[in-house]
Amino acid sequence: MARMKFLCDVERCIECNACVTACKNENEVPWGVNRRRVVTINDGSPGERSMSVACMHCSDAPCAAVCPVDCFYYTDDGVVLHDKDICIGCGYCFYACPFGAPQFPQDGAFGSRGKMDKCTFCAGGPEEDNSPEEHAKYGSNRLAEGKLPLCAEMCATKALLAGDGDTVADIYRERVTWRGSSGIGWGWGVAYGKAGLREGKAIEGKATGGE
Amino acid sequence: MSNNKQSRIRHHRMVVFSLLSLVVLTLVLPLIPYAIAELGETAGNVANPGTEYWRDVRQRDRIVTGTTQVRGVDTDVLINVTGEEWRQFRMGQLAPYGAIVLGVMVGILVVYYLVRGKIRIEAGRSGERVRRYTSAEMTVHWILAITFVLLALSGLILIYGRWVLIPLLGDAGFSATATASKVIHNYGGLLFAAIVPVAFFLYLKDSLFNLKVDAKWFLRAGGYLGGEEPSAEKVNAGQKAWYWVAMLGGFVLVASGLVLDFPNIFQQGREWLQGAHVIHTIVAIGVIVFFFVHLYLATIGVEGALESITSGHVDANWAKQHHDLWYKELQTGQGGGSASEEPSMSGGSHAGGVASPIAKD
Ligand code: HEM
Ligand code: SF4
Ligand code: SF4
Repeated sequence: MARMKFLCDVERCIECNACVTACKNENEVPWGVNRRRVVTINDGSPGERSMSVACMHCSDAPCAAVCPVDCFYYTDDGVVLHDKDICIGCGYCFYACPFGAPQFPQDGAFGSRGKMDKCTFCAGGPEEDNSPEEHAKYGSNRLAEGKLPLCAEMCATKALLAGDGDTVADIYRERVTWRGSSGIGWGWGVAYGKAGLREGKAIEGKATGGE
Repeated sequence: MSNNKQSRIRHHRMVVFSLLSLVVLTLVLPLIPYAIAELGETAGNVANPGTEYWRDVRQRDRIVTGTTQVRGVDTDVLINVTGEEWRQFRMGQLAPYGAIVLGVMVGILVVYYLVRGKIRIEAGRSGERVRRYTSAEMTVHWILAITFVLLALSGLILIYGRWVLIPLLGDAGFSATATASKVIHNYGGLLFAAIVPVAFFLYLKDSLFNLKVDAKWFLRAGGYLGGEEPSAEKVNAGQKAWYWVAMLGGFVLVASGLVLDFPNIFQQGREWLQGAHVIHTIVAIGVIVFFFVHLYLATIGVEGALESITSGHVDANWAKQHHDLWYKELQTGQGGGSASEEPSMSGGSHAGGVASPIAKD
Protein backbone atom coordinates (compact mmCIF):
# COMPACT_ATOMS: atom_id res chain seq x y z
CA MET A 1 0.00 0.00 0.00
CA ALA A 2 1.32 3.38 -0.99
CA ARG A 3 2.12 5.97 1.65
CA MET A 4 1.57 9.38 0.06
CA LYS A 5 4.15 12.08 0.74
CA PHE A 6 5.14 15.55 -0.34
CA LEU A 7 8.74 16.59 -0.64
CA CYS A 8 10.02 20.02 -1.60
CA ASP A 9 13.57 20.05 -2.87
CA VAL A 10 14.77 23.42 -1.61
CA GLU A 11 17.79 23.32 -3.91
CA ARG A 12 15.38 23.56 -6.82
CA CYS A 13 12.44 25.67 -5.68
CA ILE A 14 12.51 29.06 -7.43
CA GLU A 15 9.55 30.61 -5.61
CA CYS A 16 7.41 30.90 -8.71
CA ASN A 17 4.20 30.12 -6.74
CA ALA A 18 2.86 27.97 -9.58
CA CYS A 19 1.96 25.27 -7.04
CA VAL A 20 -0.04 27.80 -5.01
CA THR A 21 -1.94 28.96 -8.06
CA ALA A 22 -2.49 25.47 -9.41
CA CYS A 23 -3.94 24.37 -6.08
CA LYS A 24 -6.23 27.37 -5.76
CA ASN A 25 -7.56 26.85 -9.25
CA GLU A 26 -7.89 23.09 -9.18
CA ASN A 27 -9.68 22.99 -5.83
CA GLU A 28 -11.58 26.26 -6.09
CA VAL A 29 -10.72 26.92 -2.46
CA PRO A 30 -12.68 29.51 -0.46
CA TRP A 31 -11.70 33.15 -0.68
CA GLY A 32 -8.90 34.01 1.71
CA VAL A 33 -7.73 30.42 1.99
CA ASN A 34 -4.44 29.18 0.56
CA ARG A 35 -3.87 25.50 1.02
CA ARG A 36 -0.29 25.83 -0.11
CA ARG A 37 2.22 28.62 0.26
CA VAL A 38 5.85 29.26 -0.60
CA VAL A 39 8.06 30.66 2.14
CA THR A 40 11.47 32.13 1.41
CA ILE A 41 14.08 32.32 4.13
CA ASN A 42 16.98 34.77 3.89
CA ASP A 43 15.23 36.47 1.01
CA GLY A 44 17.69 38.55 -1.00
CA SER A 45 20.85 37.40 0.73
CA PRO A 46 23.27 34.59 -0.07
CA GLY A 47 21.88 31.27 1.09
CA GLU A 48 18.33 32.23 0.20
CA ARG A 49 16.08 29.19 -0.03
CA SER A 50 12.40 28.80 -0.82
CA MET A 51 10.12 25.99 0.17
CA SER A 52 6.59 25.16 -0.82
CA VAL A 53 4.59 23.94 2.15
CA ALA A 54 1.09 22.60 2.73
CA CYS A 55 -0.41 19.86 4.86
CA MET A 56 2.23 17.13 5.18
CA HIS A 57 -0.30 14.43 6.10
CA CYS A 58 1.40 13.52 9.36
CA SER A 59 1.39 9.94 10.62
CA ASP A 60 0.56 11.02 14.17
CA ALA A 61 -1.25 14.17 13.15
CA PRO A 62 -1.43 16.89 15.84
CA CYS A 63 -4.54 18.37 14.18
CA ALA A 64 -6.41 15.08 14.52
CA ALA A 65 -5.24 14.70 18.11
CA VAL A 66 -6.57 18.06 19.33
CA CYS A 67 -9.81 18.30 17.33
CA PRO A 68 -12.62 18.56 19.91
CA VAL A 69 -15.11 16.87 17.57
CA ASP A 70 -12.66 14.26 16.24
CA CYS A 71 -13.47 14.99 12.60
CA PHE A 72 -10.20 13.83 11.00
CA TYR A 73 -9.54 10.48 9.40
CA TYR A 74 -6.68 8.77 7.58
CA THR A 75 -7.10 7.18 4.18
CA ASP A 76 -5.39 3.91 3.27
CA ASP A 77 -2.80 6.00 1.43
CA GLY A 78 -1.87 7.84 4.62
CA VAL A 79 -3.65 11.03 3.57
CA VAL A 80 -5.15 13.07 6.44
CA LEU A 81 -8.66 14.28 5.61
CA HIS A 82 -11.44 15.88 7.62
CA ASP A 83 -15.20 16.14 7.61
CA LYS A 84 -16.44 19.70 7.17
CA ASP A 85 -19.94 18.74 8.27
CA ILE A 86 -18.55 17.88 11.69
CA CYS A 87 -15.92 20.64 12.03
CA ILE A 88 -16.98 23.48 14.36
CA GLY A 89 -14.25 25.90 13.27
CA CYS A 90 -12.56 26.20 16.67
CA GLY A 91 -9.10 26.71 15.21
CA TYR A 92 -7.34 24.21 17.48
CA CYS A 93 -5.95 22.28 14.50
CA PHE A 94 -4.32 25.53 13.37
CA TYR A 95 -2.76 26.04 16.82
CA ALA A 96 -1.29 22.54 16.77
CA CYS A 97 -0.28 21.96 13.14
CA PRO A 98 3.50 22.20 12.64
CA PHE A 99 3.09 23.59 9.12
CA GLY A 100 0.27 26.11 9.41
CA ALA A 101 -1.80 24.01 7.05
CA PRO A 102 -5.34 24.48 8.42
CA GLN A 103 -6.93 27.65 7.06
CA PHE A 104 -10.25 29.38 7.70
CA PRO A 105 -12.53 31.41 5.45
CA GLN A 106 -13.50 33.92 8.18
CA ASP A 107 -11.42 36.24 10.30
CA GLY A 108 -12.46 34.76 13.64
CA ALA A 109 -14.35 37.58 15.41
CA PHE A 110 -16.16 35.90 18.35
CA GLY A 111 -14.17 32.82 17.42
CA SER A 112 -16.22 32.25 14.28
CA ARG A 113 -13.83 31.12 11.61
CA GLY A 114 -16.07 29.00 9.43
CA LYS A 115 -15.21 25.44 8.45
CA MET A 116 -11.55 24.58 8.40
CA ASP A 117 -10.02 24.02 4.97
CA LYS A 118 -6.70 22.41 4.19
CA CYS A 119 -4.77 20.50 1.59
CA THR A 120 -6.40 17.14 0.85
CA PHE A 121 -3.53 15.76 -1.23
CA CYS A 122 -6.12 16.20 -3.99
CA ALA A 123 -8.10 13.40 -2.37
CA GLY A 124 -11.42 15.12 -1.62
CA GLY A 125 -13.41 14.31 1.48
CA PRO A 126 -15.83 11.82 2.98
CA GLU A 127 -18.51 12.34 0.32
CA GLU A 128 -18.78 10.08 -2.70
CA ASP A 129 -15.70 10.39 -4.92
CA ASN A 130 -15.95 13.28 -7.39
CA SER A 131 -19.55 14.04 -6.50
CA PRO A 132 -20.61 17.70 -6.78
CA GLU A 133 -20.95 17.84 -2.96
CA GLU A 134 -17.42 16.62 -2.51
CA HIS A 135 -16.11 19.08 -5.04
CA ALA A 136 -17.93 22.00 -3.46
CA LYS A 137 -16.51 21.30 -0.02
CA TYR A 138 -13.07 19.88 -0.67
CA GLY A 139 -12.19 20.46 -4.31
CA SER A 140 -10.79 17.85 -6.65
CA ASN A 141 -10.37 14.20 -5.93
CA ARG A 142 -7.55 13.45 -8.32
CA LEU A 143 -6.36 10.40 -6.38
CA ALA A 144 -9.69 8.72 -7.13
CA GLU A 145 -8.97 9.34 -10.82
CA GLY A 146 -5.53 7.79 -10.51
CA LYS A 147 -3.75 11.15 -10.67
CA LEU A 148 -1.38 12.82 -8.22
CA PRO A 149 -1.72 16.32 -6.70
CA LEU A 150 -1.75 19.09 -9.28
CA CYS A 151 0.71 21.33 -7.40
CA ALA A 152 3.53 18.86 -7.89
CA GLU A 153 2.47 18.11 -11.44
CA MET A 154 2.65 21.85 -12.23
CA CYS A 155 6.04 22.41 -10.64
CA ALA A 156 8.35 23.52 -13.45
CA THR A 157 11.60 22.66 -11.72
CA LYS A 158 10.20 19.48 -10.19
CA ALA A 159 11.20 20.81 -6.81
CA LEU A 160 7.85 19.75 -5.41
CA LEU A 161 7.34 16.01 -5.50
CA ALA A 162 4.16 14.20 -4.52
CA GLY A 163 3.38 10.53 -4.57
CA ASP A 164 4.22 7.25 -2.93
CA GLY A 165 6.88 7.86 -0.31
CA ASP A 166 9.21 5.19 -1.67
CA THR A 167 9.21 6.62 -5.18
CA VAL A 168 9.64 10.17 -3.94
CA ALA A 169 12.53 9.04 -1.76
CA ASP A 170 14.18 7.25 -4.69
CA ILE A 171 14.01 10.34 -6.90
CA TYR A 172 15.39 12.57 -4.17
CA ARG A 173 18.14 10.11 -3.26
CA GLU A 174 19.26 10.00 -6.88
CA ARG A 175 19.43 13.80 -7.01
CA VAL A 176 21.42 14.00 -3.82
CA THR A 177 23.91 11.39 -4.96
CA TRP A 178 24.34 13.32 -8.16
CA ARG A 179 24.80 16.80 -6.79
CA GLY A 180 26.16 16.17 -3.32
CA SER A 181 24.20 16.55 -0.18
CA SER A 182 23.46 19.38 2.15
CA GLY A 183 23.31 22.32 -0.19
CA ILE A 184 27.01 22.91 -0.65
CA GLY A 185 26.42 22.49 -4.33
CA TRP A 186 23.56 24.69 -5.44
CA GLY A 187 22.59 26.42 -8.62
CA TRP A 188 21.58 25.58 -12.14
CA GLY A 189 24.70 23.77 -13.15
CA VAL A 190 24.65 21.49 -10.16
CA ALA A 191 20.96 20.78 -10.27
CA TYR A 192 20.69 20.07 -13.99
CA GLY A 193 24.16 19.82 -15.48
CA LYS A 194 27.20 17.77 -14.72
CA ALA A 195 29.17 20.49 -12.99
CA GLY A 196 30.26 20.53 -9.43
CA LEU A 197 29.70 16.95 -8.44
CA ARG A 198 30.51 16.96 -4.73
CA GLU A 199 32.76 19.98 -5.15
CA GLY A 200 31.53 22.92 -3.22
CA LYS A 201 34.50 25.10 -4.13
CA ALA A 202 33.94 24.61 -7.84
CA ILE A 203 30.75 26.64 -7.91
CA GLU A 204 32.33 29.76 -6.54
CA GLY A 205 31.43 32.74 -8.61
CA LYS A 206 27.92 31.60 -9.40
CA ALA A 207 25.36 34.18 -8.45
CA THR A 208 23.51 31.77 -6.23
CA GLY A 209 26.42 29.66 -5.06
CA GLY A 210 26.77 28.42 -1.52
CA GLU A 211 28.45 30.76 0.95
CA MET B 1 67.81 -18.36 42.30
CA SER B 2 67.71 -14.58 42.67
CA ASN B 3 68.52 -14.18 39.00
CA ASN B 4 65.55 -16.31 38.10
CA LYS B 5 63.29 -14.24 40.36
CA GLN B 6 64.46 -10.96 38.79
CA SER B 7 63.72 -12.12 35.25
CA ARG B 8 60.29 -13.24 36.34
CA ILE B 9 59.57 -9.76 37.77
CA ARG B 10 60.79 -8.17 34.54
CA HIS B 11 58.54 -10.48 32.59
CA HIS B 12 55.54 -9.48 34.66
CA ARG B 13 56.33 -5.82 34.18
CA MET B 14 56.46 -6.26 30.44
CA VAL B 15 53.08 -8.00 30.40
CA VAL B 16 51.44 -5.27 32.46
CA PHE B 17 53.03 -2.54 30.36
CA SER B 18 51.94 -4.01 27.03
CA LEU B 19 48.40 -4.55 28.30
CA LEU B 20 48.23 -0.96 29.48
CA SER B 21 49.50 0.45 26.22
CA LEU B 22 47.05 -1.76 24.34
CA VAL B 23 44.18 -0.30 26.32
CA VAL B 24 45.40 3.27 25.90
CA LEU B 25 45.91 2.84 22.16
CA THR B 26 42.46 1.34 21.59
CA LEU B 27 41.03 4.38 23.31
CA VAL B 28 43.17 7.00 21.63
CA LEU B 29 43.63 5.73 18.07
CA PRO B 30 39.98 6.11 16.95
CA LEU B 31 40.08 9.73 18.10
CA ILE B 32 42.87 10.71 15.78
CA PRO B 33 40.66 11.38 12.72
CA TYR B 34 38.44 13.57 14.87
CA ALA B 35 41.45 15.48 16.12
CA ILE B 36 42.62 15.99 12.54
CA ALA B 37 39.17 17.12 11.49
CA GLU B 38 39.06 19.52 14.43
CA LEU B 39 42.48 21.01 13.85
CA GLY B 40 43.06 20.64 10.15
CA GLU B 41 41.80 22.64 7.19
CA THR B 42 39.35 19.92 6.18
CA ALA B 43 35.69 19.83 5.21
CA GLY B 44 34.69 19.86 8.85
CA ASN B 45 35.48 23.56 8.99
CA VAL B 46 33.36 24.68 6.08
CA ALA B 47 30.03 26.03 7.22
CA ASN B 48 27.39 23.88 5.62
CA PRO B 49 24.63 26.12 4.23
CA GLY B 50 22.21 23.21 4.07
CA THR B 51 22.61 22.53 7.75
CA GLU B 52 22.23 26.23 8.55
CA TYR B 53 19.08 26.36 6.46
CA TRP B 54 17.39 23.47 8.21
CA ARG B 55 18.44 24.85 11.58
CA ASP B 56 16.65 28.05 10.59
CA VAL B 57 13.60 26.17 9.35
CA ARG B 58 13.31 24.37 12.69
CA GLN B 59 14.13 27.65 14.47
CA ARG B 60 16.77 25.92 16.57
CA ASP B 61 18.90 28.94 17.41
CA ARG B 62 16.65 31.87 16.66
CA ILE B 63 13.13 32.78 15.63
CA VAL B 64 13.12 32.81 11.84
CA THR B 65 10.39 34.22 9.70
CA GLY B 66 10.59 34.32 5.96
CA THR B 67 8.72 36.09 3.23
CA THR B 68 5.73 34.79 1.36
CA GLN B 69 3.15 35.96 -1.13
CA VAL B 70 0.35 34.45 0.93
CA ARG B 71 -1.30 36.93 3.28
CA GLY B 72 -2.52 35.74 6.64
CA VAL B 73 -1.57 35.07 10.24
CA ASP B 74 1.81 33.35 10.61
CA THR B 75 2.01 32.48 6.91
CA ASP B 76 5.66 33.56 6.90
CA VAL B 77 6.59 30.93 9.49
CA LEU B 78 7.62 27.54 8.09
CA ILE B 79 7.50 25.48 11.28
CA ASN B 80 5.19 26.20 14.19
CA VAL B 81 7.64 25.03 16.84
CA THR B 82 5.25 25.37 19.79
CA GLY B 83 2.35 23.54 18.15
CA GLU B 84 3.38 20.10 19.35
CA GLU B 85 4.04 21.42 22.87
CA TRP B 86 0.56 22.89 22.94
CA ARG B 87 -0.90 19.60 21.73
CA GLN B 88 0.97 17.74 24.47
CA PHE B 89 -0.34 20.22 27.02
CA ARG B 90 -3.96 19.97 25.96
CA MET B 91 -4.13 16.24 25.32
CA GLY B 92 -1.51 14.95 27.75
CA GLN B 93 -1.92 17.26 30.71
CA LEU B 94 -4.96 19.52 30.60
CA ALA B 95 -7.51 16.84 29.75
CA PRO B 96 -6.34 14.02 32.05
CA TYR B 97 -5.19 16.10 35.03
CA GLY B 98 -8.17 18.41 34.73
CA ALA B 99 -10.46 15.38 34.90
CA ILE B 100 -8.58 14.01 37.90
CA VAL B 101 -8.67 17.31 39.79
CA LEU B 102 -12.37 17.85 39.13
CA GLY B 103 -13.19 14.22 39.91
CA VAL B 104 -11.22 14.21 43.17
CA MET B 105 -13.04 17.35 44.30
CA VAL B 106 -16.43 15.82 43.58
CA GLY B 107 -15.32 12.67 45.40
CA ILE B 108 -14.21 14.64 48.46
CA LEU B 109 -17.55 16.43 48.59
CA VAL B 110 -19.52 13.19 48.26
CA VAL B 111 -17.51 11.57 51.04
CA TYR B 112 -17.87 14.69 53.17
CA TYR B 113 -21.61 14.65 52.70
CA LEU B 114 -21.82 10.98 53.60
CA VAL B 115 -19.70 11.45 56.73
CA ARG B 116 -20.82 14.84 57.97
CA GLY B 117 -24.22 15.18 56.37
CA LYS B 118 -26.01 18.46 56.07
CA ILE B 119 -24.90 21.07 58.58
CA ARG B 120 -28.10 21.91 60.41
CA ILE B 121 -29.20 25.08 62.11
CA GLU B 122 -28.44 23.76 65.58
CA ALA B 123 -30.96 25.81 67.47
CA GLY B 124 -33.61 25.19 64.84
CA ARG B 125 -35.28 27.94 62.93
CA SER B 126 -36.25 30.96 64.98
CA GLY B 127 -38.74 32.22 62.47
CA GLU B 128 -37.09 35.62 62.73
CA ARG B 129 -35.81 36.73 59.34
CA VAL B 130 -32.68 38.83 58.93
CA ARG B 131 -31.84 40.70 55.76
CA ARG B 132 -28.56 39.56 54.28
CA TYR B 133 -28.40 40.69 50.65
CA THR B 134 -29.88 43.59 48.71
CA SER B 135 -31.74 42.98 45.51
CA ALA B 136 -28.77 44.43 43.59
CA GLU B 137 -26.48 41.91 45.25
CA MET B 138 -28.85 39.08 44.42
CA THR B 139 -29.33 40.13 40.79
CA VAL B 140 -25.63 40.46 40.13
CA HIS B 141 -25.00 37.14 41.84
CA TRP B 142 -27.43 35.34 39.59
CA ILE B 143 -26.23 36.93 36.37
CA LEU B 144 -22.71 36.00 37.36
CA ALA B 145 -23.73 32.49 38.39
CA ILE B 146 -25.70 31.72 35.25
CA THR B 147 -23.04 33.03 32.87
CA PHE B 148 -20.35 31.24 34.84
CA VAL B 149 -22.13 27.90 34.76
CA LEU B 150 -22.90 28.25 31.04
CA LEU B 151 -19.27 29.11 30.30
CA ALA B 152 -17.91 26.34 32.49
CA LEU B 153 -20.25 23.75 31.00
CA SER B 154 -19.66 24.76 27.41
CA GLY B 155 -15.91 24.94 28.02
CA LEU B 156 -15.84 21.48 29.60
CA ILE B 157 -17.90 20.13 26.70
CA LEU B 158 -15.21 21.37 24.31
CA ILE B 159 -12.54 19.52 26.25
CA TYR B 160 -14.32 16.33 27.28
CA GLY B 161 -17.13 15.94 24.75
CA ARG B 162 -14.87 13.97 22.45
CA TRP B 163 -14.67 11.16 24.99
CA VAL B 164 -17.93 11.53 26.87
CA LEU B 165 -20.47 12.79 24.36
CA ILE B 166 -19.42 11.39 20.96
CA PRO B 167 -20.17 7.82 22.11
CA LEU B 168 -23.61 9.02 23.26
CA LEU B 169 -24.61 11.46 20.53
CA GLY B 170 -22.64 10.26 17.55
CA ASP B 171 -20.38 12.46 15.41
CA ALA B 172 -23.09 14.65 13.89
CA GLY B 173 -25.01 14.96 17.15
CA PHE B 174 -21.98 16.00 19.09
CA SER B 175 -20.95 18.39 16.33
CA ALA B 176 -24.24 20.23 16.87
CA THR B 177 -23.71 20.23 20.64
CA ALA B 178 -20.16 21.47 20.26
CA THR B 179 -21.23 24.21 17.86
CA ALA B 180 -23.83 25.37 20.39
CA SER B 181 -21.25 25.21 23.17
CA LYS B 182 -18.83 27.25 21.15
CA VAL B 183 -21.43 29.90 20.33
CA ILE B 184 -22.60 30.09 23.95
CA HIS B 185 -19.01 30.25 25.15
CA ASN B 186 -17.76 32.82 22.70
CA TYR B 187 -20.72 35.22 23.03
CA GLY B 188 -21.56 34.47 26.67
CA GLY B 189 -18.01 35.42 27.50
CA LEU B 190 -18.87 39.06 26.79
CA LEU B 191 -21.66 39.03 29.36
CA PHE B 192 -19.28 37.49 31.87
CA ALA B 193 -16.69 40.13 31.03
CA ALA B 194 -19.25 42.84 31.73
CA ILE B 195 -20.54 41.42 35.01
CA VAL B 196 -17.22 40.49 36.66
CA PRO B 197 -16.11 44.09 37.31
CA VAL B 198 -19.57 44.96 38.67
CA ALA B 199 -19.45 42.00 41.03
CA PHE B 200 -15.91 42.84 42.01
CA PHE B 201 -16.84 46.28 43.33
CA LEU B 202 -20.21 45.28 44.69
CA TYR B 203 -18.86 42.56 46.98
CA LEU B 204 -15.42 44.04 47.60
CA LYS B 205 -16.11 45.74 50.92
CA ASP B 206 -17.48 42.62 52.61
CA SER B 207 -14.70 40.46 51.21
CA LEU B 208 -11.65 42.28 52.48
CA PHE B 209 -9.78 40.01 54.84
CA ASN B 210 -9.81 40.90 58.52
CA LEU B 211 -6.70 39.10 59.70
CA LYS B 212 -7.67 38.83 63.36
CA VAL B 213 -10.89 36.99 62.63
CA ASP B 214 -10.07 35.30 59.37
CA ALA B 215 -6.72 33.77 60.32
CA LYS B 216 -8.40 32.00 63.20
CA TRP B 217 -11.18 30.85 60.86
CA PHE B 218 -8.67 29.37 58.44
CA LEU B 219 -6.66 27.71 61.23
CA ARG B 220 -9.78 25.90 62.39
CA ALA B 221 -10.85 25.23 58.79
CA GLY B 222 -14.11 26.96 59.52
CA GLY B 223 -15.10 24.16 61.87
CA TYR B 224 -15.94 21.98 58.87
CA LEU B 225 -13.48 19.31 59.93
CA GLY B 226 -14.71 19.17 63.51
CA GLY B 227 -14.34 21.39 66.51
CA GLU B 228 -16.29 24.50 67.26
CA GLU B 229 -17.25 26.82 64.41
CA PRO B 230 -14.97 29.86 64.58
CA SER B 231 -16.27 33.42 64.64
CA ALA B 232 -17.04 35.05 61.33
CA GLU B 233 -18.11 38.41 60.00
CA LYS B 234 -20.89 38.90 57.48
CA VAL B 235 -18.73 36.98 55.03
CA ASN B 236 -16.53 34.28 56.52
CA ALA B 237 -12.92 33.70 55.53
CA GLY B 238 -13.77 30.81 53.24
CA GLN B 239 -16.34 32.88 51.39
CA LYS B 240 -13.85 35.71 51.10
CA ALA B 241 -11.32 33.30 49.63
CA TRP B 242 -13.93 32.17 47.10
CA TYR B 243 -14.63 35.83 46.24
CA TRP B 244 -10.95 36.41 45.47
CA VAL B 245 -10.53 33.17 43.53
CA ALA B 246 -13.63 33.85 41.46
CA MET B 247 -12.89 37.52 40.84
CA LEU B 248 -9.16 37.34 40.14
CA GLY B 249 -9.71 34.10 38.24
CA GLY B 250 -12.56 35.82 36.44
CA PHE B 251 -10.37 38.68 35.32
CA VAL B 252 -7.74 36.27 34.02
CA LEU B 253 -10.41 34.22 32.24
CA VAL B 254 -11.85 37.36 30.68
CA ALA B 255 -8.47 38.65 29.53
CA SER B 256 -7.26 35.34 28.11
CA GLY B 257 -10.70 34.56 26.74
CA LEU B 258 -10.84 37.81 24.81
CA VAL B 259 -7.44 37.07 23.28
CA LEU B 260 -8.89 33.77 22.04
CA ASP B 261 -12.20 35.29 21.05
CA PHE B 262 -10.93 38.01 18.73
CA PRO B 263 -7.93 36.75 16.79
CA ASN B 264 -8.92 39.25 14.10
CA ILE B 265 -8.29 42.40 16.11
CA PHE B 266 -4.55 42.29 16.64
CA GLN B 267 -3.98 39.44 14.20
CA GLN B 268 -2.36 37.67 17.13
CA GLY B 269 -0.45 34.60 16.02
CA ARG B 270 -0.49 31.06 17.26
CA GLU B 271 1.92 31.62 20.13
CA TRP B 272 -0.45 34.15 21.65
CA LEU B 273 -3.42 31.89 21.14
CA GLN B 274 -1.63 28.86 22.58
CA GLY B 275 -0.43 30.84 25.59
CA ALA B 276 -3.86 32.36 26.20
CA HIS B 277 -5.45 28.93 25.93
CA VAL B 278 -3.03 27.42 28.46
CA ILE B 279 -3.65 30.20 30.98
CA HIS B 280 -7.39 30.21 30.28
CA THR B 281 -7.88 26.51 30.82
CA ILE B 282 -5.63 26.09 33.87
CA VAL B 283 -7.40 28.97 35.60
CA ALA B 284 -10.79 27.69 34.44
CA ILE B 285 -10.21 24.25 35.97
CA GLY B 286 -8.95 25.89 39.17
CA VAL B 287 -11.96 28.18 39.49
CA ILE B 288 -14.39 25.36 38.69
CA VAL B 289 -12.86 23.24 41.49
CA PHE B 290 -13.49 26.04 44.01
CA PHE B 291 -16.91 26.57 42.47
CA PHE B 292 -17.83 22.96 43.33
CA VAL B 293 -17.12 23.68 47.00
CA HIS B 294 -19.14 26.90 46.84
CA LEU B 295 -22.03 25.11 45.16
CA TYR B 296 -21.97 22.30 47.70
CA LEU B 297 -21.94 24.54 50.77
CA ALA B 298 -24.58 26.87 49.39
CA THR B 299 -27.04 24.10 48.57
CA ILE B 300 -26.96 20.69 50.23
CA GLY B 301 -24.02 21.40 52.53
CA VAL B 302 -25.47 23.97 54.91
CA GLU B 303 -29.09 24.23 55.92
CA GLY B 304 -30.58 27.67 55.48
CA ALA B 305 -27.78 29.08 53.31
CA LEU B 306 -29.40 29.06 49.87
CA GLU B 307 -32.34 31.25 50.87
CA SER B 308 -29.95 34.13 51.58
CA ILE B 309 -29.34 34.58 47.89
CA THR B 310 -32.80 33.60 46.65
CA SER B 311 -34.84 35.68 49.10
CA GLY B 312 -32.22 38.02 50.49
CA HIS B 313 -33.02 36.91 54.02
CA VAL B 314 -31.75 34.29 56.42
CA ASP B 315 -33.00 32.91 59.66
CA ALA B 316 -31.66 34.73 62.72
CA ASN B 317 -30.39 31.50 64.25
CA TRP B 318 -28.51 30.70 61.05
CA ALA B 319 -26.88 34.11 61.24
CA LYS B 320 -26.02 33.62 64.92
CA GLN B 321 -24.46 30.22 64.22
CA HIS B 322 -22.43 30.98 61.09
CA HIS B 323 -21.82 34.71 61.16
CA ASP B 324 -21.85 35.60 64.85
CA LEU B 325 -19.93 38.87 64.55
CA TRP B 326 -22.20 40.10 61.80
CA TYR B 327 -25.26 39.15 63.84
CA LYS B 328 -23.87 40.99 66.85
CA GLU B 329 -23.30 44.07 64.70
CA LEU B 330 -26.87 43.89 63.53
CA GLN B 331 -28.05 43.67 67.11
CA THR B 332 -26.04 46.68 68.16
CA GLY B 333 -27.08 48.51 65.03
CA GLN B 334 -23.66 49.04 63.55
CA GLY B 335 -24.84 47.62 60.30
CA GLY B 336 -21.65 45.84 59.35
CA GLY B 337 -19.95 49.14 58.63
CA SER B 338 -22.44 49.69 55.87
CA ALA B 339 -23.01 53.04 54.27
CA SER B 340 -26.66 53.01 55.13
CA GLU B 341 -26.48 52.80 58.85
CA GLU B 342 -29.99 52.75 59.99
CA PRO B 343 -31.20 51.49 63.30
CA SER B 344 -31.62 47.77 63.25
CA MET B 345 -34.83 45.86 63.51
CA SER B 346 -36.64 48.55 61.60
CA GLY B 347 -38.68 45.75 60.15
CA GLY B 348 -40.30 45.16 56.81
CA SER B 349 -39.06 46.96 53.77
CA HIS B 350 -35.66 48.43 53.64
CA ALA B 351 -33.80 50.91 51.50
CA GLY B 352 -31.47 48.64 49.57
CA GLY B 353 -28.06 50.23 49.97
CA VAL B 354 -25.04 48.08 49.33
CA ALA B 355 -24.61 45.57 52.15
CA SER B 356 -27.67 46.94 53.84
CA PRO B 357 -27.83 45.87 57.41
CA ILE B 358 -31.03 44.47 58.65
CA ALA B 359 -34.56 43.77 57.91
CA LYS B 360 -36.94 41.63 59.81
CA ASP B 361 -40.13 40.36 58.42
C1 HEM C 1 -15.00 36.58 29.26
C2 HEM C 1 -15.06 35.34 29.52
C3 HEM C 1 -14.61 34.25 28.60
C4 HEM C 1 -14.26 34.28 27.28
C5 HEM C 1 -14.25 35.48 26.35
C6 HEM C 1 -13.89 32.95 26.91
C7 HEM C 1 -13.46 32.56 25.66
C8 HEM C 1 -13.01 31.31 25.32
C9 HEM C 1 -12.62 30.93 24.02
C10 HEM C 1 -12.61 31.80 22.79
C11 HEM C 1 -12.27 29.62 24.07
C12 HEM C 1 -11.81 28.77 22.90
C13 HEM C 1 -12.92 27.85 22.52
C14 HEM C 1 -13.46 28.06 21.15
O1 HEM C 1 -13.06 28.99 20.45
O2 HEM C 1 -14.35 27.28 20.79
C15 HEM C 1 -12.46 29.18 25.41
C16 HEM C 1 -12.23 27.90 25.85
C17 HEM C 1 -12.51 27.46 27.14
N1 HEM C 1 -12.97 28.24 28.18
FE1 HEM C 1 -13.49 30.18 28.10
N2 HEM C 1 -14.02 32.14 27.98
C18 HEM C 1 -14.47 32.90 29.04
C19 HEM C 1 -14.77 32.48 30.31
C20 HEM C 1 -14.62 31.19 30.74
C21 HEM C 1 -15.02 30.72 32.03
C22 HEM C 1 -15.67 31.57 33.11
C23 HEM C 1 -14.71 29.40 32.07
C24 HEM C 1 -14.88 28.41 33.15
C25 HEM C 1 -15.08 28.64 34.35
C26 HEM C 1 -14.10 29.04 30.83
C27 HEM C 1 -13.63 27.80 30.52
C28 HEM C 1 -13.14 27.43 29.28
C29 HEM C 1 -12.74 26.09 28.95
C30 HEM C 1 -12.76 24.88 29.88
C31 HEM C 1 -12.37 26.11 27.59
C32 HEM C 1 -12.02 24.88 26.76
C33 HEM C 1 -10.69 24.84 26.17
C34 HEM C 1 -10.46 23.59 25.35
O3 HEM C 1 -11.38 23.07 24.68
O4 HEM C 1 -9.33 23.10 25.40
N3 HEM C 1 -14.07 30.16 30.03
N4 HEM C 1 -12.90 30.23 26.17
S1 SF4 D 1 -2.98 19.67 8.96
FE1 SF4 D 1 -0.95 19.90 9.86
S2 SF4 D 1 -0.95 18.50 11.63
FE2 SF4 D 1 -2.67 17.91 10.31
S3 SF4 D 1 -1.83 16.29 8.99
FE3 SF4 D 1 -1.62 18.24 7.88
S4 SF4 D 1 0.44 18.94 8.40
FE4 SF4 D 1 -0.07 17.36 9.91
S1 SF4 E 1 -11.32 23.82 13.37
FE1 SF4 E 1 -12.57 22.04 12.84
S2 SF4 E 1 -11.10 20.49 12.19
FE2 SF4 E 1 -9.95 22.06 13.28
S3 SF4 E 1 -9.83 21.26 15.39
FE3 SF4 E 1 -11.61 22.65 15.29
S4 SF4 E 1 -13.34 21.31 14.82
FE4 SF4 E 1 -11.48 20.14 14.37
